[in-house]
Amino acid sequence: MILTGPEITRQREAGRITIEPFDEIQVNPNSYNYHLGPTLRVHRGQVLDTRPGDQVLEEFAIPEEGALLLPGRIYLGTTVEEIGSAHYVPSLIGRSSLGRLGIFLQFSADMGNLGAVHRWTLEIEVVQPAVVHAGDRMGQITFTAACGEVRLYDGHFGRIGEATAPNRPELLAAAR
Amino acid sequence: MILTGPEIVREREAGRLTIEPFDAAQVNPNSYNLTLGPTLVVYTGTVLDTRRPNDFETLEIPEQGIVLEPDRIYLGASVEVIGSDHYVPLMHSRSGSARLGIYSHVTADLIDQGSHGQLTHQLRVVQRVKVYAGVSLAQVDFRRVQGDPMLYRGKYQGSRGPQPSQIHLDTAALRTAA
Repeated sequence: MILTGPEITRQREAGRITIEPFDEIQVNPNSYNYHLGPTLRVHRGQVLDTRPGDQVLEEFAIPEEGALLLPGRIYLGTTVEEIGSAHYVPSLIGRSSLGRLGIFLQFSADMGNLGAVHRWTLEIEVVQPAVVHAGDRMGQITFTAACGEVRLYDGHFGRIGEATAPNRPELLAAAR
Repeated sequence: MILTGPEIVREREAGRLTIEPFDAAQVNPNSYNLTLGPTLVVYTGTVLDTRRPNDFETLEIPEQGIVLEPDRIYLGASVEVIGSDHYVPLMHSRSGSARLGIYSHVTADLIDQGSHGQLTHQLRVVQRVKVYAGVSLAQVDFRRVQGDPMLYRGKYQGSRGPQPSQIHLDTAALRTAA
Protein backbone atom coordinates (compact mmCIF):
# COMPACT_ATOMS: atom_id res chain seq x y z
CA MET A 1 0.00 0.00 0.00
CA ILE A 2 1.22 3.46 -0.92
CA LEU A 3 1.03 6.13 1.78
CA THR A 4 -1.17 9.13 1.10
CA GLY A 5 0.33 12.61 1.57
CA PRO A 6 -1.36 13.15 4.95
CA GLU A 7 -0.13 9.70 6.06
CA ILE A 8 3.47 10.59 5.07
CA THR A 9 3.16 13.68 7.30
CA ARG A 10 1.66 11.62 10.14
CA GLN A 11 4.31 8.88 9.97
CA ARG A 12 7.06 11.51 9.90
CA GLU A 13 5.64 13.11 13.02
CA ALA A 14 5.58 9.64 14.63
CA GLY A 15 9.30 9.29 13.81
CA ARG A 16 8.78 6.44 11.37
CA ILE A 17 9.83 8.41 8.28
CA THR A 18 12.71 10.89 7.93
CA ILE A 19 12.38 13.91 5.62
CA GLU A 20 14.67 16.79 6.61
CA PRO A 21 14.19 19.64 5.97
CA PHE A 22 10.43 19.23 5.70
CA ASP A 23 7.91 21.71 4.31
CA GLU A 24 4.21 20.88 4.27
CA ILE A 25 3.77 22.65 0.94
CA GLN A 26 5.85 19.89 -0.73
CA VAL A 27 3.38 17.16 0.27
CA ASN A 28 1.52 15.70 -2.73
CA PRO A 29 -1.50 13.35 -2.73
CA ASN A 30 0.80 10.30 -2.54
CA SER A 31 4.37 11.60 -2.36
CA TYR A 32 6.74 14.34 -1.20
CA ASN A 33 8.73 16.62 -3.55
CA TYR A 34 12.52 16.62 -3.26
CA HIS A 35 14.90 19.30 -4.55
CA LEU A 36 18.16 19.27 -6.50
CA GLY A 37 21.26 20.19 -4.46
CA PRO A 38 23.89 22.68 -5.62
CA THR A 39 26.35 20.34 -7.39
CA LEU A 40 26.44 17.72 -10.12
CA ARG A 41 28.99 15.04 -10.91
CA VAL A 42 29.89 13.44 -14.21
CA HIS A 43 32.09 10.49 -15.05
CA ARG A 44 35.39 11.61 -16.51
CA GLY A 45 36.18 8.39 -18.38
CA GLN A 46 35.05 7.82 -21.96
CA VAL A 47 34.17 4.20 -21.32
CA LEU A 48 32.65 3.31 -17.97
CA ASP A 49 33.38 0.00 -16.31
CA THR A 50 31.19 -2.10 -14.04
CA ARG A 51 34.26 -3.40 -12.18
CA PRO A 52 35.93 -1.18 -9.57
CA GLY A 53 38.74 0.84 -11.09
CA ASP A 54 39.71 4.30 -12.13
CA GLN A 55 36.21 5.68 -12.43
CA VAL A 56 36.82 9.25 -11.55
CA LEU A 57 33.92 11.58 -10.96
CA GLU A 58 34.20 15.24 -11.71
CA GLU A 59 32.13 17.57 -9.58
CA PHE A 60 30.94 21.00 -10.57
CA ALA A 61 28.71 23.60 -8.95
CA ILE A 62 25.51 24.45 -10.81
CA PRO A 63 25.94 28.08 -11.85
CA GLU A 64 23.32 30.76 -11.15
CA GLU A 65 22.02 30.58 -14.72
CA GLY A 66 21.66 26.79 -14.51
CA ALA A 67 23.65 23.86 -15.86
CA LEU A 68 23.18 22.74 -19.46
CA LEU A 69 22.84 18.97 -19.54
CA LEU A 70 23.61 17.14 -22.77
CA PRO A 71 22.22 13.86 -24.10
CA GLY A 72 24.47 10.80 -24.00
CA ARG A 73 25.80 11.35 -20.49
CA ILE A 74 24.75 10.35 -17.03
CA TYR A 75 24.77 13.14 -14.45
CA LEU A 76 24.70 12.48 -10.74
CA GLY A 77 22.97 14.95 -8.46
CA THR A 78 22.00 14.89 -4.81
CA THR A 79 18.76 15.64 -3.04
CA VAL A 80 18.71 18.62 -0.69
CA GLU A 81 16.65 16.51 1.71
CA GLU A 82 17.73 13.62 3.90
CA ILE A 83 15.11 10.96 3.31
CA GLY A 84 14.53 7.42 4.50
CA SER A 85 12.54 5.04 6.64
CA ALA A 86 13.00 1.80 8.53
CA HIS A 87 9.27 1.09 8.20
CA TYR A 88 8.19 2.02 4.67
CA VAL A 89 10.00 1.32 1.41
CA PRO A 90 10.92 4.58 -0.31
CA SER A 91 10.73 4.92 -4.05
CA LEU A 92 12.36 7.94 -5.61
CA ILE A 93 10.96 9.04 -8.96
CA GLY A 94 11.12 12.12 -11.15
CA ARG A 95 8.28 14.55 -11.57
CA SER A 96 6.07 14.33 -14.60
CA SER A 97 6.86 18.00 -15.32
CA LEU A 98 10.51 16.99 -15.88
CA GLY A 99 9.70 13.77 -17.69
CA ARG A 100 7.60 15.84 -20.08
CA LEU A 101 10.79 17.78 -20.91
CA GLY A 102 12.72 14.56 -21.48
CA ILE A 103 14.63 15.02 -18.22
CA PHE A 104 14.63 11.57 -16.64
CA LEU A 105 15.59 10.74 -13.06
CA GLN A 106 15.89 7.38 -11.33
CA PHE A 107 14.57 5.68 -14.43
CA SER A 108 16.07 2.32 -13.69
CA ALA A 109 16.55 2.05 -9.93
CA ASP A 110 13.80 3.92 -8.18
CA MET A 111 13.47 1.64 -5.18
CA GLY A 112 15.33 2.43 -1.97
CA ASN A 113 16.19 0.14 0.92
CA LEU A 114 14.50 0.02 4.29
CA GLY A 115 16.75 1.74 6.81
CA ALA A 116 18.80 3.81 4.35
CA VAL A 117 18.44 7.42 5.51
CA HIS A 118 20.50 9.93 3.54
CA ARG A 119 20.62 12.51 0.82
CA TRP A 120 19.86 10.48 -2.28
CA THR A 121 22.05 10.32 -5.33
CA LEU A 122 20.05 11.27 -8.41
CA GLU A 123 20.77 9.63 -11.75
CA ILE A 124 19.86 12.18 -14.40
CA GLU A 125 19.67 11.76 -18.17
CA VAL A 126 18.28 14.14 -20.78
CA VAL A 127 16.84 13.29 -24.19
CA GLN A 128 17.38 16.80 -25.58
CA PRO A 129 19.76 19.49 -24.25
CA ALA A 130 18.15 20.95 -21.14
CA VAL A 131 19.02 23.43 -18.42
CA VAL A 132 18.43 22.52 -14.77
CA HIS A 133 18.85 24.75 -11.74
CA ALA A 134 19.98 24.18 -8.17
CA GLY A 135 16.89 24.07 -5.99
CA ASP A 136 14.62 22.78 -8.77
CA ARG A 137 11.84 20.55 -7.53
CA MET A 138 13.23 17.52 -9.34
CA GLY A 139 11.11 14.66 -8.24
CA GLN A 140 9.04 12.99 -5.63
CA ILE A 141 9.40 10.18 -3.15
CA THR A 142 6.72 7.67 -2.26
CA PHE A 143 6.54 5.27 0.66
CA THR A 144 5.07 1.77 0.38
CA ALA A 145 4.17 -0.50 3.29
CA ALA A 146 6.27 -3.66 3.56
CA CYS A 147 5.32 -7.02 4.99
CA GLY A 148 7.59 -9.39 6.88
CA GLU A 149 10.48 -9.19 9.30
CA VAL A 150 12.66 -6.12 8.70
CA ARG A 151 16.36 -6.47 8.02
CA LEU A 152 17.77 -2.97 7.77
CA TYR A 153 20.08 -1.91 4.97
CA ASP A 154 23.67 -1.53 6.08
CA GLY A 155 25.28 -1.31 2.66
CA HIS A 156 27.79 1.15 1.29
CA PHE A 157 25.41 3.63 -0.31
CA GLY A 158 23.12 3.89 2.72
CA ARG A 159 25.54 6.03 4.68
CA ILE A 160 26.50 8.39 1.91
CA GLY A 161 25.06 11.86 1.69
CA GLU A 162 26.42 13.12 -1.61
CA ALA A 163 26.32 12.09 -5.26
CA THR A 164 28.03 8.76 -5.44
CA ALA A 165 28.88 6.09 -8.01
CA PRO A 166 30.05 2.57 -7.18
CA ASN A 167 33.70 3.28 -6.63
CA ARG A 168 36.63 3.10 -4.28
CA PRO A 169 36.35 5.84 -1.63
CA GLU A 170 39.94 7.03 -2.18
CA LEU A 171 39.22 7.65 -5.85
CA LEU A 172 36.10 9.55 -4.98
CA ALA A 173 38.17 11.69 -2.64
CA ALA A 174 40.72 12.28 -5.40
CA ALA A 175 37.97 13.48 -7.73
CA ARG A 176 36.87 16.22 -5.40
CA MET B 1 -1.38 -4.11 -2.96
CA ILE B 2 -2.04 -4.11 -6.68
CA LEU B 3 -5.52 -4.68 -8.06
CA THR B 4 -6.07 -7.71 -10.26
CA GLY B 5 -7.70 -7.29 -13.65
CA PRO B 6 -11.11 -8.52 -12.46
CA GLU B 7 -10.86 -6.20 -9.42
CA ILE B 8 -10.11 -3.24 -11.75
CA VAL B 9 -13.30 -4.11 -13.65
CA ARG B 10 -15.29 -4.46 -10.40
CA GLU B 11 -14.03 -1.19 -8.89
CA ARG B 12 -14.73 0.62 -12.16
CA GLU B 13 -18.31 -0.68 -12.12
CA ALA B 14 -18.58 0.51 -8.50
CA GLY B 15 -17.51 3.99 -9.64
CA ARG B 16 -14.28 3.96 -7.61
CA LEU B 17 -11.96 4.30 -10.60
CA THR B 18 -12.34 5.79 -14.07
CA ILE B 19 -11.36 4.17 -17.38
CA GLU B 20 -13.32 5.76 -20.26
CA PRO B 21 -13.78 4.45 -22.88
CA PHE B 22 -13.50 0.93 -21.50
CA ASP B 23 -13.01 -2.31 -23.42
CA ALA B 24 -12.89 -5.64 -21.58
CA ALA B 25 -10.38 -6.87 -24.19
CA GLN B 26 -7.79 -4.43 -22.78
CA VAL B 27 -7.89 -5.86 -19.26
CA ASN B 28 -4.70 -7.72 -18.27
CA PRO B 29 -4.11 -9.95 -15.20
CA ASN B 30 -3.20 -6.84 -13.13
CA SER B 31 -3.39 -3.82 -15.41
CA TYR B 32 -5.27 -2.17 -18.26
CA ASN B 33 -3.81 -1.40 -21.71
CA LEU B 34 -3.88 2.22 -22.90
CA THR B 35 -4.45 3.34 -26.48
CA LEU B 36 -2.30 6.07 -28.06
CA GLY B 37 -4.33 9.11 -29.20
CA PRO B 38 -4.06 10.84 -32.60
CA THR B 39 -1.61 13.67 -31.76
CA LEU B 40 1.95 14.16 -30.51
CA VAL B 41 3.61 17.24 -29.01
CA VAL B 42 7.25 18.12 -29.68
CA TYR B 43 9.32 21.05 -28.43
CA THR B 44 10.57 23.47 -31.06
CA GLY B 45 13.47 25.06 -29.13
CA THR B 46 16.99 23.61 -29.19
CA VAL B 47 17.61 23.92 -25.44
CA LEU B 48 14.87 23.23 -22.91
CA ASP B 49 14.83 24.95 -19.53
CA THR B 50 13.08 24.08 -16.27
CA ARG B 51 12.51 27.76 -15.48
CA ARG B 52 11.16 29.06 -18.80
CA PRO B 53 8.10 28.25 -20.90
CA ASN B 54 9.27 25.89 -23.66
CA ASP B 55 7.73 26.41 -27.11
CA PHE B 56 6.07 23.39 -28.68
CA GLU B 57 3.99 22.26 -31.63
CA THR B 58 1.31 19.61 -32.06
CA LEU B 59 1.60 16.96 -34.78
CA GLU B 60 -1.21 14.80 -36.15
CA ILE B 61 -0.08 11.20 -36.51
CA PRO B 62 -0.72 10.36 -40.19
CA GLU B 63 -2.55 7.21 -41.24
CA GLN B 64 0.72 5.59 -42.36
CA GLY B 65 2.30 6.25 -38.94
CA ILE B 66 5.12 8.52 -37.82
CA VAL B 67 8.79 7.65 -37.31
CA LEU B 68 10.06 8.69 -33.88
CA GLU B 69 13.71 9.78 -33.68
CA PRO B 70 16.02 8.86 -30.77
CA ASP B 71 17.17 12.39 -29.98
CA ARG B 72 13.77 13.87 -29.18
CA ILE B 73 11.13 13.70 -26.50
CA TYR B 74 7.61 13.19 -27.85
CA LEU B 75 4.49 13.64 -25.77
CA GLY B 76 1.47 11.52 -26.58
CA ALA B 77 -1.73 10.91 -24.67
CA SER B 78 -3.96 7.99 -23.92
CA VAL B 79 -7.36 7.92 -25.58
CA GLU B 80 -8.69 6.76 -22.21
CA VAL B 81 -9.48 9.09 -19.34
CA ILE B 82 -7.92 7.49 -16.26
CA GLY B 83 -8.21 8.37 -12.60
CA SER B 84 -9.30 7.37 -9.13
CA ASP B 85 -10.11 9.07 -5.84
CA HIS B 86 -9.44 5.75 -4.06
CA TYR B 87 -6.46 4.11 -5.75
CA VAL B 88 -3.11 5.29 -7.13
CA PRO B 89 -2.70 4.55 -10.84
CA LEU B 90 0.83 3.71 -12.03
CA MET B 91 1.75 3.89 -15.68
CA HIS B 92 4.21 1.53 -17.38
CA SER B 93 5.36 0.69 -20.85
CA ARG B 94 4.04 -2.56 -22.22
CA SER B 95 6.82 -5.05 -22.60
CA GLY B 96 5.98 -5.33 -26.29
CA SER B 97 6.89 -1.68 -26.84
CA ALA B 98 9.87 -1.70 -24.44
CA ARG B 99 11.32 -4.62 -26.43
CA LEU B 100 11.33 -2.27 -29.43
CA GLY B 101 13.16 0.36 -27.37
CA ILE B 102 10.02 2.50 -27.06
CA TYR B 103 9.72 3.94 -23.58
CA SER B 104 6.30 5.41 -23.02
CA HIS B 105 6.86 6.55 -19.47
CA VAL B 106 10.27 6.79 -17.93
CA THR B 107 10.53 8.95 -14.87
CA ALA B 108 7.21 9.59 -13.19
CA ASP B 109 5.01 6.55 -13.28
CA LEU B 110 2.82 7.66 -10.38
CA ILE B 111 -0.53 9.32 -11.10
CA ASP B 112 -1.76 11.26 -8.08
CA GLN B 113 -4.90 10.10 -6.31
CA GLY B 114 -7.73 12.36 -7.45
CA SER B 115 -6.13 13.19 -10.81
CA HIS B 116 -8.45 12.42 -13.74
CA GLY B 117 -7.45 12.87 -17.36
CA GLN B 118 -5.93 11.40 -20.48
CA LEU B 119 -2.47 10.21 -19.46
CA THR B 120 0.45 11.99 -21.12
CA HIS B 121 3.02 9.56 -22.51
CA GLN B 122 6.67 10.69 -22.27
CA LEU B 123 7.76 8.92 -25.43
CA ARG B 124 11.41 8.23 -25.97
CA VAL B 125 12.87 5.74 -28.44
CA VAL B 126 16.31 4.12 -28.52
CA GLN B 127 16.27 3.39 -32.26
CA ARG B 128 14.11 4.94 -34.97
CA VAL B 129 10.69 3.35 -34.81
CA LYS B 130 7.29 3.94 -36.34
CA VAL B 131 4.16 4.35 -34.22
CA TYR B 132 0.51 4.76 -35.14
CA ALA B 133 -2.55 6.32 -33.58
CA GLY B 134 -4.51 3.62 -31.81
CA VAL B 135 -1.54 1.40 -30.91
CA SER B 136 -1.20 0.25 -27.33
CA LEU B 137 2.21 1.23 -25.96
CA ALA B 138 1.47 1.56 -22.26
CA GLN B 139 -0.55 0.07 -19.44
CA VAL B 140 -1.83 1.31 -16.11
CA ASP B 141 -2.21 -0.51 -12.81
CA PHE B 142 -3.98 0.56 -9.61
CA ARG B 143 -2.55 0.42 -6.06
CA ARG B 144 -4.27 0.57 -2.72
CA VAL B 145 -3.32 3.39 -0.35
CA GLN B 146 -2.81 3.78 3.39
CA GLY B 147 -4.04 6.91 5.17
CA ASP B 148 -6.49 9.74 4.71
CA PRO B 149 -6.81 10.97 1.13
CA MET B 150 -5.59 14.31 -0.18
CA LEU B 151 -6.92 14.58 -3.71
CA TYR B 152 -4.93 16.09 -6.58
CA ARG B 153 -5.73 19.71 -7.49
CA GLY B 154 -2.68 20.37 -9.66
CA LYS B 155 -2.03 22.03 -12.97
CA TYR B 156 -2.58 18.93 -15.13
CA GLN B 157 -6.08 18.13 -13.79
CA GLY B 158 -8.58 17.21 -16.50
CA SER B 159 -5.89 16.82 -19.21
CA ARG B 160 -7.08 16.17 -22.74
CA GLY B 161 -4.43 15.35 -25.31
CA PRO B 162 -0.65 15.49 -24.69
CA GLN B 163 0.25 18.15 -22.12
CA PRO B 164 3.65 19.87 -22.32
CA SER B 165 5.56 20.55 -19.12
CA GLN B 166 4.29 23.41 -16.96
CA ILE B 167 7.33 23.32 -14.70
CA HIS B 168 8.18 26.98 -15.28
CA LEU B 169 5.05 27.76 -13.24
CA ASP B 170 7.02 26.49 -10.21
CA THR B 171 9.36 29.45 -10.63
CA ALA B 172 6.42 31.83 -11.01
CA ALA B 173 4.98 30.42 -7.77
CA LEU B 174 8.35 30.85 -6.03
CA ARG B 175 8.49 34.47 -7.17
CA THR B 176 4.96 35.10 -5.92
CA ALA B 177 5.78 33.51 -2.56
CA ALA B 178 9.04 35.45 -2.21
